[in-house]
Amino acid sequence: MSPIASPAMTSVAPNLTKATEIDTETLYNLLQQPNDFLLLDVRNEDEFQLWRIEGPHTPATLHIPYFFFLEDEAEAVARVAAQAPAGRPVVVVCAKGGASDYVAERLREHGIPAANLMGGMVEWGDFYAVRPAVERPAYQVYQVDRVARGCVSWVFISRGEAAIVDPLRYGRRYLDFLADRQAQLKLILDTHAHADHISTGAELAQATGAPYYLHPYDAIHPFDMVPAQMAYHMLADGQRFTLGELTIEVIHTPGHTLGQVNFLVTAPDGEAFCCTGDNLFIESFGRPDLGGQGERWAPIVYDTIFGIMKTRVPQHAWILPGHYASPAEANAAGLYMKRLRDLWRENRGLHFTDKQSFVDYVLSHLPYMPPQYVEIKRVNIGLSHPDVDTADELELGKNICALEA
Amino acid sequence: MSMDLSGLTVTRELDVRGLKCPMPLVKARQEIVQMAVGDVLKVISTDRGSVKDFQGWAKAANNVELIGQSESTADGKTLYIHFVRRIR
Ligand SMILES: [Fe+2]
Repeated sequence: MSPIASPAMTSVAPNLTKATEIDTETLYNLLQQPNDFLLLDVRNEDEFQLWRIEGPHTPATLHIPYFFFLEDEAEAVARVAAQAPAGRPVVVVCAKGGASDYVAERLREHGIPAANLMGGMVEWGDFYAVRPAVERPAYQVYQVDRVARGCVSWVFISRGEAAIVDPLRYGRRYLDFLADRQAQLKLILDTHAHADHISTGAELAQATGAPYYLHPYDAIHPFDMVPAQMAYHMLADGQRFTLGELTIEVIHTPGHTLGQVNFLVTAPDGEAFCCTGDNLFIESFGRPDLGGQGERWAPIVYDTIFGIMKTRVPQHAWILPGHYASPAEANAAGLYMKRLRDLWRENRGLHFTDKQSFVDYVLSHLPYMPPQYVEIKRVNIGLSHPDVDTADELELGKNICALEA
Repeated sequence: MSMDLSGLTVTRELDVRGLKCPMPLVKARQEIVQMAVGDVLKVISTDRGSVKDFQGWAKAANNVELIGQSESTADGKTLYIHFVRRIR
């Protein structure tokens, strides 16, 4: 399991020509700057089509399933060599790191510098990059980004007290992170019951005693109406929390789910942060159909965005979303945050003035819904308890929570 | 891939339980090149990824055919079983 990475603002590219294996943090750092290595993906065709390694600087990528190296090693190696002349280093990736290790070794035997990505796509999918969004004496905000999936969670700390918004699957990493900063977990907040990834909110609450909050409308499975079987506290519109010198206000923002809320965090220096979950993203916004009710919920999304977000969230508030579809949505510091007043202009999904054209647009831009999203929601309200392998499979691939571009 | 495999004559059996990718396929390949054309190899694996891998391999290789795949359970573990015929 990869540790939470430190911010990689000024990372130096490791010497890939000598490495025989690299970890996910090294790969992450390589993707943050212009690079010239070749990425060789040796998974099966359908796995490669489903999702692949991307970053602000996605390297040239070659796809050759590993069994081609078993069948005709010379030919497969020649295909790689054609793309990797003059000692260009190759990073080899597969599902779990076994086949890629085998292939990397074959390449090195043929004189091609090749490094295996340890743990493969499973480990890459579990890599969290942490970046400070704001660090002031009175409070700090951190972005915890699960890069392979485009999932973002947010950590607030003030005067030794911490809140996590939308904690991702490995809760232990947040606890280690908070321990390093001598902060105590006070609040665990989910903006909604997630369909695309497994939340660790209830589990963190059990481990730490900190309360876990969810809106009660989301504690019922939207497909079969089975109520949650887990301990949680109910969120309500207008509810307020205090966290050190920060105040957190709950704003009910239904549409993506009926129980979705935003957390408006106000700081003593006048800054405000709005954790929007799957309401507003930097590009686009959350799709209304993951509960199986797209036609009914699309108009609710409109009312939330153009009613509630316009009136109840200050225009200078930083929007902190739960997802991104592309690393291009980040600012120069790698942060997925933008002031609401800029979002109205720059998010092309928000250029609507009447409800009907908005709803028409939404319903004609609904992407494919991965079938496992129904089961993930069951997991997130305690109705199902998958083992690690099953959980890994449920979470495979990038999130598809936004509308089609 | 489900089909009736009951009438199938298995020439050799290869037990790769506990081995992880790429070993089930590496071993199966080593085995099948020692077998005669027409012979059938049964591979017993605990690696879930081997299901897709055997499908991809059979497509990529020109000397094997994937006749069928099945699942069963033993000692609380899921077994992924592959039947491969050497065709060339
Ligand atoms: Fe989501």
